Parts: sequence; C-alpha cells; structure tokens
Amino acid sequence: MSIIAIVALAIIVMLAGGFYVGRSRAISAVSGATARLHSLPNYHGYYVAIWTGLPAFILLAVFGIFGTSLVDRLTASELRRDAAELTASFEEALAADSETLAVMEALAVLRERSESAAANVAELRSARGSDRDPARLEALQSEYTDLVNQLATAEEVRLDRRNILRDAVLDEAVESAAPVRALAGFELMHSPRERRQLFLADARRIATDGLASRASPELDAAASIMRRHASQLRNLVAGLAIVIALGGLIRTRSQIAAAFRARNHVESLVTAMLFLSSVIAIMTTVGIVFSLLFESLRFFSTVPLTDFLFGLQWSPQIALRADQVGQSGAFGAVPLFAGTAMITLIAMIVAVPIGLLSAIYLSEYAGPRFRLTAKPVLEILAGVPTVVYGFFALLTVGPAIRGFFAMIGIEDVVTQSALSAGLVMGVMIIPFISSLSDDVINSVPQSLRDGSYAMGATKSETIGRVIIPAALPGIVGSILLAVSRAVGETMIVVMAAGQGANLTANPLESVTTITVQIVMLLTGDQEFDSPKTLSAFALGLVLFVITLVMNVIALRVVQRYREKYD
Amino acid sequence: MTDTPDISPIRTAVSKNLGSRYRAESRFRAAGLAAVAAAVGILILLLSSIVSGGLPAFSANQLHLTVDLDEELVDPSGERSEDSLRRGSYSRILQNAVRTEFPEVTGRRDLRNLFSLYTALNATRLMDEVLEDPTLIGTQYRFTMPLADDLDLYLKGMLVDERSFEPQGTLSLDVSDDGVIVRSSATDFRDLASEVARTLRARATLLEVDADMLAERAEGLSGTEAEDMLYDAELNRRQAAEIRARLETEAGPIALDGSLPSILVESDGRTVLLTDLARNGAGGTGRFLLGSEAVDGESNWSLQVIDTPAERRRVSDQLIVWTRALEARGAISAAFNTYLFANADSREPELAGVKGALYGSILTMIITIIISVPIGVFTALYLEEYAPKNRFTALIEVNINNLAAVPSIVFGLLGLAVFINAFGLPRSAPLVGGLVLSLMTLPTVIIATRAALKAVPQSIREAALAVGASRTQTVFHHVLPLAAPGILTGAIIGLAQAMGETAPLLMIGMVAFIADAPTLGLEGFTEPATVMPVQIFLWSDGAERAFQARTAAAILVLLALMIGFNALAIYLRRRFERRW
Amino acid sequence: MTDTPLNTPADLPIKVTARKVTVSYSGKQALHDVSIDIPDRSVTAFIGPSGCGKSTFLRCLNRMNDTIDGAVVGGSLTIDGQEINDKTIDPVVLRASVGMVFQKPNPFPKSIYDNVAYGPRIHGLALTRPELDEIVENALRKAGLWDEVSDRLTHPGTGLSGGQQQRLVIARAIAVNPEVILMDEPCSALDPIATARIEELIDELRENYCIIIVTHSMQQAARVSQHTAFFHMGHLVEYGSTEDIFTNPRDTRTQDYITGRFG
Repeated sequence: MSIIAIVALAIIVMLAGGFYVGRSRAISAVSGATARLHSLPNYHGYYVAIWTGLPAFILLAVFGIFGTSLVDRLTASELRRDAAELTASFEEALAADSETLAVMEALAVLRERSESAAANVAELRSARGSDRDPARLEALQSEYTDLVNQLATAEEVRLDRRNILRDAVLDEAVESAAPVRALAGFELMHSPRERRQLFLADARRIATDGLASRASPELDAAASIMRRHASQLRNLVAGLAIVIALGGLIRTRSQIAAAFRARNHVESLVTAMLFLSSVIAIMTTVGIVFSLLFESLRFFSTVPLTDFLFGLQWSPQIALRADQVGQSGAFGAVPLFAGTAMITLIAMIVAVPIGLLSAIYLSEYAGPRFRLTAKPVLEILAGVPTVVYGFFALLTVGPAIRGFFAMIGIEDVVTQSALSAGLVMGVMIIPFISSLSDDVINSVPQSLRDGSYAMGATKSETIGRVIIPAALPGIVGSILLAVSRAVGETMIVVMAAGQGANLTANPLESVTTITVQIVMLLTGDQEFDSPKTLSAFALGLVLFVITLVMNVIALRVVQRYREKYD
Repeated sequence: MTDTPDISPIRTAVSKNLGSRYRAESRFRAAGLAAVAAAVGILILLLSSIVSGGLPAFSANQLHLTVDLDEELVDPSGERSEDSLRRGSYSRILQNAVRTEFPEVTGRRDLRNLFSLYTALNATRLMDEVLEDPTLIGTQYRFTMPLADDLDLYLKGMLVDERSFEPQGTLSLDVSDDGVIVRSSATDFRDLASEVARTLRARATLLEVDADMLAERAEGLSGTEAEDMLYDAELNRRQAAEIRARLETEAGPIALDGSLPSILVESDGRTVLLTDLARNGAGGTGRFLLGSEAVDGESNWSLQVIDTPAERRRVSDQLIVWTRALEARGAISAAFNTYLFANADSREPELAGVKGALYGSILTMIITIIISVPIGVFTALYLEEYAPKNRFTALIEVNINNLAAVPSIVFGLLGLAVFINAFGLPRSAPLVGGLVLSLMTLPTVIIATRAALKAVPQSIREAALAVGASRTQTVFHHVLPLAAPGILTGAIIGLAQAMGETAPLLMIGMVAFIADAPTLGLEGFTEPATVMPVQIFLWSDGAERAFQARTAAAILVLLALMIGFNALAIYLRRRFERRW
Repeated sequence: MTDTPLNTPADLPIKVTARKVTVSYSGKQALHDVSIDIPDRSVTAFIGPSGCGKSTFLRCLNRMNDTIDGAVVGGSLTIDGQEINDKTIDPVVLRASVGMVFQKPNPFPKSIYDNVAYGPRIHGLALTRPELDEIVENALRKAGLWDEVSDRLTHPGTGLSGGQQQRLVIARAIAVNPEVILMDEPCSALDPIATARIEELIDELRENYCIIIVTHSMQQAARVSQHTAFFHMGHLVEYGSTEDIFTNPRDTRTQDYITGRFG
C-alpha cells in the first residue's frame, strides 16, 4: 500500500478523532449541561473534523491530479542539468560547423525574402481599383509559395545536419563512457515533443514496474531519477498533509467553548462550499470561452479571419509545416459549413415531421395505454449512444441507400454520404423534437381545445387551426434546439458522412462537417502549435458560437411562450 | 346522417361537406399513427440489425491441439526461471502441433498457409499458461485457442455460399501424372458440368454486351479516348470468343479456375479439388488437398460445392479443407466467446475483447461520479435554497442552461486545452476523461436536482423553519432526503449519457490502440485507457469483417450496461416516488 | 324523481328535452336521472352549489363530455325532437348547431376576424370572401362588439379586455347561427361593468336563440333568465319560472340555497 493511501487513512482516523474531541470537549466545557452550549455538541465535532480533514484532503487531491506531471517536470529538469555538458559540446559543435552556419545564413536570407513577399501579397490583396492586378497577384503568390518551399527545404537540411551532429556527439559520449543519465537527458532534450512525452511515459512505467513500450539503459536511468523524485514528493506531501491535519485539529480544538458558535461556523462553511460548487459551472463556461478564444486568436494570426470564414477550399493537410501557410484557401471553412448545413437539413426533414406528428398523435389521439407503451420507445431512441447510431448508419443505412440507388439505376453512390448521415441523425433527433413539442403541446390550455370542439371542429381541425398556431413559438423553439443539437453532433457524421471536403449540393456525395474536421485534426499525430491543430479550435469556436446563439434564442422563445400560458 | 329537411339550415349546411372533413381527419390521424409506427419501426430495425450482427460474435470456434511442451523448446536454458521460460519458442510448439495434424504438408508456402489457421499471438497465451503452471513442461498438453477470424466466419456460414450433394454412384480416384482422375459410376457430375457451362456462357454474353456498349459509345467520340474504348471492346470480344471456343468447339473437359465455384470431392479423410470437369458428367481430374490414396468403388463419399469463387473470398480452398477436416476430427468446437470478455483490444479480431474498454469505462465513470454528483447537487442546493435573487445568481442560471446545450465535442476541446496542455495531465487517461465527462454531465445533474428540490413542497421547509431549525438544518434534514430519489434518478440518467459519450474523449486521446487493460486501482486513473463507446468506434473502422460482429457485440454489452443503469433509475423512481 | 319534468313552462315551444339523463366519470356518478324540458327563444338558468352537476348537464347538450376520457352519458336527450345522445349522431353537426361560451374567455390566438370566421370556415359556410365578411360583421354586430373593433379586425383577439373577449367568444359562437347557445358561468371572470354588458347582450339574443346559462350568481339568474332549474348533488331539484323559484320555492333545499344558507 502506498504511503499516500496510508496517510489518507490516517487523516480519516484523525477526522473521526477530531469529531470526537470537539464533541467531548464541548460537553466537558459545560460539564455535561449541553443546554448551556450555543450549538449542539455534534456541531463542535463537525467543526473540528472539517478543519482537520478538509485542507489535508484538498492537498492530497491536488497531488493526485498534478503529482504525476510535477514528477515528470522535476525529472526532466534534472536530466537536463545532467546533460548540460553534452549539450554544451553539442552547441559548440553546431556553432563550429560551417555547413550549419551556411544553412543558417541562407535561412535568414530566405526568411527575409519570404516575409517581404508575404507583405507584398497582403498589400496587393487589400488594394482597391486598378492596383488590384490579378495576374501580378498570382505571380507574387507563386513566388511566395516558392520561397516558402525553399525555406522548408533549407530547414530540413538544417535539421538533418543537426541530427548528424547530435548523433556524432552522442557516439562520442558513449565511447568516452559518459554517464547514462547525461545520455538520457540529451536524448530527452533533443527529440521532438511527442517523443519526449513518450520517453517520460515509458520511464514512468518502468518506475512503477509497468510494461514499457521499449527498454534502454537511458530509460532505466530516467526511471530511477523519477522514482526518487516521486518518493520524495510523496513523502513531502504525506508529511505536509499530516501536519496540516494535526494543526487544524489542535487549533480548532482550542476554540471550543460554551459560547462558541460552532453551528454558524459549520453552516457558513457549508454555504461557502455550495457557492463554490455553483461557481464551477461559470468556470467551465469561462474555460471553454477562453481556451477556444485563445487558441483561435493564435490561429487567426496566421490565417486571416475572412479567409477562414469565406474561403471555399478546405485542405488543412497541405499545410503540414508551420511555415507553409501561404497557400491561401487551404483553411476556407465554407465547405464544412455547407456540409454541416446539408446534413442538418436532411436530419430536420426526417425528424421534424416524424417527431412533431408522433408528439401530436401521442398527446391528442392516443389512449393512455398506447401512450404508456409508445413513449418509452421514443425514450429508448433518445438513450442510444450516438456511436451506435453511427455504426447503424455505416452497417445498415449506408449500404441500403447504395443498394436502393443501384436498383433505380444510379451507380457509384458512396456508402458514406450526406444522405445516410442525415437520415440517421434525423432518427437521433426524433425523440428530442417529440418530447420537447409534447411539452409545448400539453401546455396549450384545455380551454382553447374546448372552445374549438364546442364550435364543432374535428380533432384535426382543432390541432391544425388552434393548437399548432398557439404552440408555434414553442415548437419553433424546440426545433431550434434540435438544430443546435444536430449541428454539434459528432459521432454519426464522423462514422457515416465521410471526410471529403466537397462543396456540393448532392446529398449522395460524401461531405464533411465542422465536428468531423475537429476530430480529424485532433486525433492521431499532432504538433500542437501548427495552424492545422489550431484551426480545430477555431472550428470549435464557430461551433460554440452557433449553438450558443441558437440556444439563447430558443430558450428565450420557449420561455416567453411558457409565460404566456402559465 | 339522419337529418331531415325540417331540421335547421345550419345542420344541413354542415352535413354537406362532412364527408370530406372526416376523410381529412382520418388522413391526419393515420399520418400521426404512421409517425409513431415509423419511430417504433426504426428502433426495431436498429436493435435487430445490431443484435443479428452481434450475436455471432458471442460464440467462437476454438481449435484444440495437443501440444508437445518439449523441455528444450520451452526452457532453453533448462533452469526453469521465468526469464528462461519467457525465451521458449512457443510458436514452434504450436507449429509442430498443427503439423502433426497434417503431416503430409511440407512445402514452405503450404506450411505458412497451414499456420494461418490461428494467429501467432496465441504463442504468448501458451507461454502465459506455462508460466502459470510450470509442471506442464514436458507433458502433452491440450491447448485451446481461437480459430483464425475468417475461418471462424466460414464455419458460422457467414463467409461463403456452399452446398453439398449426396452422390448416387460409387467413387473411384486414380492417381496419374495429370492429377487425380475422379470418376463416379453414376452421372453425379452431370448437373454440375452443365451448370458450369451455363455460367461460362452467361459470362461470355455479358462480355459481348459490354463490348457492344463500349463500341457504341466510342462512335460518338474521337481521339485516344475512343481508341481506348475500342481496344477494351476488342479485348472483351476476344475473351468472350475464347470462352465460347472452350465451351463449344473443344471436346475436352471444362477447366475450372478461381473464377468458378470450387468443387470438392470428399471421401473418408481424402479431399480432391476438381481442376477440370468432363462434359458428360462422368467425373473429372483434380488434385488432393487432403490425403493421397487412390480408391475404387467407394460408396461413402460426398460432393461439396463452394459457390463463392475462390477469387472473391478471403479464405482459400486449402484452408477450408483443413478446417473441415479438423472439425470432422473433433479438434474444432464452438463455444461461448470468453475472449470477448477476458481480453483487452487486439489487432487480431479473434483475440480482441472489451475488457480494457470496460475497465476504462469503470475508471472514467468513477471520476465522473465523484466529481459531477456532489458538485451538481451542491450547485442545485445553492441555487434553489440559498442563492439570493441577484444578477450573479441569474448569470449562473443562464449559464447552466446554455452549458446543457453546448456540443459535447466542445468539452473535449476544453479538456485538451486546459487539462492536458495547461495543467499537464496525462493524455488518454481515465482521470482526464472523467473530468471532461463530469463537466459535461454537470448541467444535467444540476437541472434534475433542481427539479427534485422544487418538487418538495414549501410547507415542509416552513414547518422545519417554524420549529427553529436553521436553513442548513432544514435543507439537510428535511428537503434533501425527500428530494433524494429524484436526484438519484437524474444523476443516473446523466451518468448513463456520459457512459455512452464518445466525441469529447477522442479529443483527449482516449482513442489510441491499447492492448492492456488498465489497472483497477489508483494507478489505473493515469494509465492510458479507452472506454466502451470509443472501443466501438475503433472496431467499427476495423478492416477485418470479424471486427464488424465484434463491434455489434460490444454495442450489445454497452446497451446492456445502459439498460441496467436506466432500469435502476426507473426502479428507484417507482420505489421512492412520492406525490404531493 | 318522476318521469315527467317538473313544472314545465307551457307558453313557449319546447326546444330541448331531457329524460333520465345520467352522467358518470370513470364509474363515479355525477348526474342522476335528470329530466327537463327547455323552451326555445328564452333564457333558462341552471343554478346550484359547486359540484352540483349543472355544468355537467350543460356539457351533455353539445356532447362536450365526449372529449373527456371515461365519461359515460345515459338517458335520452333531444333537440327539436331529434335524439342527440346517440352514437350515430355526429357531434360535429350537433356542436355546429349548439354553440357554447365558457367560464373564462378563450379566444384563439388569432386575429379578431379569424376568431369569428373560425366556425364558418371549418364548416364551409361562406363561399366567398365578401360572404365571410358579412357573416363576421353580422356576428360582431349581434354581439355588440362591432363598433369597438371594426377598425382593428386584424388585431389579435387575445389583446382585447376580458369583457370584450367574452363578447368576441359569443360572436364566434353565433357566427354559425346555432339554435341553442350554452353559457357556462360566462361572467364569473369579469368585472361588474363587463358583466352588465354581457347580461344585456344575453337579453338581446334571447329573441333569436334558445339560451341556457349556468351561473353561481342567483342575482344574475334572476336578472337574465325566464326559467330556472336548481341542481343539488347531481339531482335536478326544482324547475320552473324564475319568478316562482325565487319567490315561492317548493323544495326546502331550494329555499335554503336561495336564502343563502348553503352554497
């Protein structure tokens, strides 16, 4: 059992003890006449127990969440220190290497030229009237692209040379029997970011006797450092937790007296805790807004907002390297917006009639028994995970659509199409629309129905001419909510809509959506700072804003409607 | 209608177009019923397609082989240490065991083919069994392993169309230089011969029609495109003519190739694959796929026709014959697919299981529960029972309503940017997954709890306050216990939703291939893991067909879990429901 | 209760006849054997304490009880000698000829014009727009609302004051020219001035329609009706000319009620 678990248990024991101490001290302070106490003895107990346990547990929780990464950081910095000598000689070698120097020089020149080219392009693009010469723009742009590519090639050459030098330094170090820890630090420092993470993860696994993806003396060395830091940190945290708990116990114990307002203290603590909880909801929104905004702004500093919002071409894969973002149009999100809109539209064409009609049927026509069996069916549809719908689209609906169109003579329809994703998403939305409109229809006052029936209207006339018009704002609100749900839905489209960023109006082609692209950009290998990755956050921001606006409107509309009939 | 003319004008007027009004009424009603029926029908279609797709994955065909755990192979250094046992060549042991079953197989390619009856990963399983029980060393051990996924599908009848015939005559097999000469004393092969001829003729016709179409289209075009078309047409014509020539002019047998059904002659441990078929139906020639002895006048034999041509299936005739032979020998049996539950993910579908994902889901849900339920309930308590009516409270309320409708993938982005990049928490870990799902579930829990708290009548609070209880005492002694069932139901529904959620977890890297189940303990929270819905997503992408069935099976497991959760919610609601 | 109705008014032609009408909701009997003859072109008031069955009986006359799950109506009800409590009689046709005004004004969330035109439209009574305009104007004039709303017919009906709304609802009912108008406590949600206005209107409408009004206000019954029926605990206790009921009740329960001992 780890020391942390032991400490946690010890704190629980101290907490229980604190309760007992507080309680009995309160009782003895009034020599058993508890009526003289301001608060019940139990509150004195709670007071001591809370101040004994709470701070210590918060410390343990923080350690549990951040401990691992802290140990990683400590280990990395120690390894880096160990490798200082090797790094220095490597840097020396780099500085002395004529080839590197030449490349660096060339790079600087290229960079300067590409910057001025970019400025020219930008200037020309923002120019008005006769200055706006498309031919010249194209020439400049191609010159710029050329420069960027040259830059990339030069960068590659530089990196290659750097790697050669690094290997040379490493070989030399191995020959001269440099300490393994220095080698480990060197390896860690001079590998790409994701390799660094993998290195640390493997070291961590070795340190905790888990299965690492590979083994090497360097990893073992890193693991032993990590083990040391981990146990030091663990012991520190454990000791600190015990001290805090004991301190809390002793301090609060001395406060207990007959007139001590223990209940008020406990209650204001409880209230503070409740308030802090409700602030978390706000913090979540703030977190979402800031993380999306922050990363998006970084993205928009390389790709202009207008290019992103109005560009017609989406091909983030082209801009693989950070300095290759001159290729205008690669981040034009219009095809994604169009794909999202098309799939949402198809989904609504399926879901609105079925959802609305079944809500009407269930609330106006069906007998209680029928309602009792049919409603759970809709609830089950609502509870099915979206990944299951995605699989259903992939396995059943897509092939069925292809089969159907092959039967009527339209060949080469793809299995992953906007139609199949839209249809299945429609099915997913049905219960959403039906339950929301059911609520809305049920809140239309009975007196309106009576008024219509008393005029001799049939049921369908009453529904069509009185209930639906009366419920319309609410229904529109629920459809808006459903649209926002469809726009943000991810798994069905990821699995069923394909990935081609086609700007098409043909639902039989595969299209892509905002959510699909976010998934594509952020799964698999990623460099965090490339525009490719950052563009996912820009897409996320767009998604967030769209759904937020629709929700605010929808909630407002529904609320107004409710107020009207309440 | 029983109206008579002396009845008032309004009734007569109304009666006139009553018929069409009632027709409209019943049309509308029918439309409503159709909508409900459509929803129910879709659910049935969805469930039945998944159940029918997933059920086959719950059984697995297993290969039982007697392996010779020869000491030298198992324990190369002979010291019985774990290290030494780990270096044993277990795949050689497995290979030896299959070779004993089919000693006649010798060629390198044939052997490689033979070893594809099972996946090589089974050697590790054998090693684990030996490590567990070293006394097995040196014994003949009956080892059970899953059959290769395609052969498993073949035995389940999901891979090929096939049929078998009971022949009339007696069989004779003569071994000659050209192969095995197969003859039946009756006309057992006649129907097959004419069937094959018909197939070939149809193919020729199809080629000719195609050629005509190409030629026609080429007429309207010019340049290289037309030339290419004409060339293709000519090629088609030539192929068709070849086929027809083979069929009509030559008197010899019809050659069977990979584009035609495979015809297998089976008799008492021997199997011959026909390579050509005599036109008169008396027999043909072929080659032995199993056994090698000639027979004469054998009456105990059968004909097996695999209609799916060898070119269009993933398993060869040879593997099918071996599988059938092993099945006939009792070395293959179908059993409940324990690998599906006992294993974590694997590249080989027959060894892939949901254990890793299930553990990942459990760990993730533990974090979600311990974070979202208390915070959600506390927030609701604050808003419902404590909060002053001011701007800040209104802000929190609006905020929660909007948070409930934020797409789940945005929570994933939040997790990536904040928990992983800013806080430096490990990727792919249940800890981060749980944190993200907690934030996502929070609004659901808060909204459900507030509804439950609202349902507690004001009179209860007033009664408690009137006897001098403080607000906190009122809330915790009276209101909260009464609202508990409603809170529990809401929390369970929110958690069930979180358990089925996929998209945000993709963002934080829980989508990696992970072959080990995470530890069910404290360390497990920071180990890389995946969860059930993500596992479903990963498998649905799998190239092997067997993964499709496993995807559906995993869905069934997930749905069972969720139905369990929801049933619990319904039970609690019924059990503790209170109406005021 | 006897088979013959109590104290049938003889001076006017009989419009509505009820014989042994019973109503039960989900097995609970709400009305016991009510027999009554209601004359045409006059106002008949139903009075009685809450839950006495007066509204229940009123809702039998246009089969509104059909819209309530589990309601069973027994006995015989005729309008102009024609049985209406019969499955073969179409409630749509019946309700077109028996208008109804409810306790709370319930104009549809549509324009004033569309509210009044609702009945003629669903029943197809007007073939052209001018015809419909005429029907709407006539109905609004009869309801005494025309002068107040003629310049804002496209405004929503829900925007009118309570009394105006109730008159709009009456206009809506008379737009299809029914034979009987049922009023279920039409003034209970209105202020005294609006009430007086409605009562005046009821008096005017009496010339052309058979009006049956349920009211809990005995003063109102005395003011507007020619005949009064007193209901108690689901029974019709007493029925006769309004004057007789109020000045010379025969049943002690009636007497107790009108003198204010209960109710």
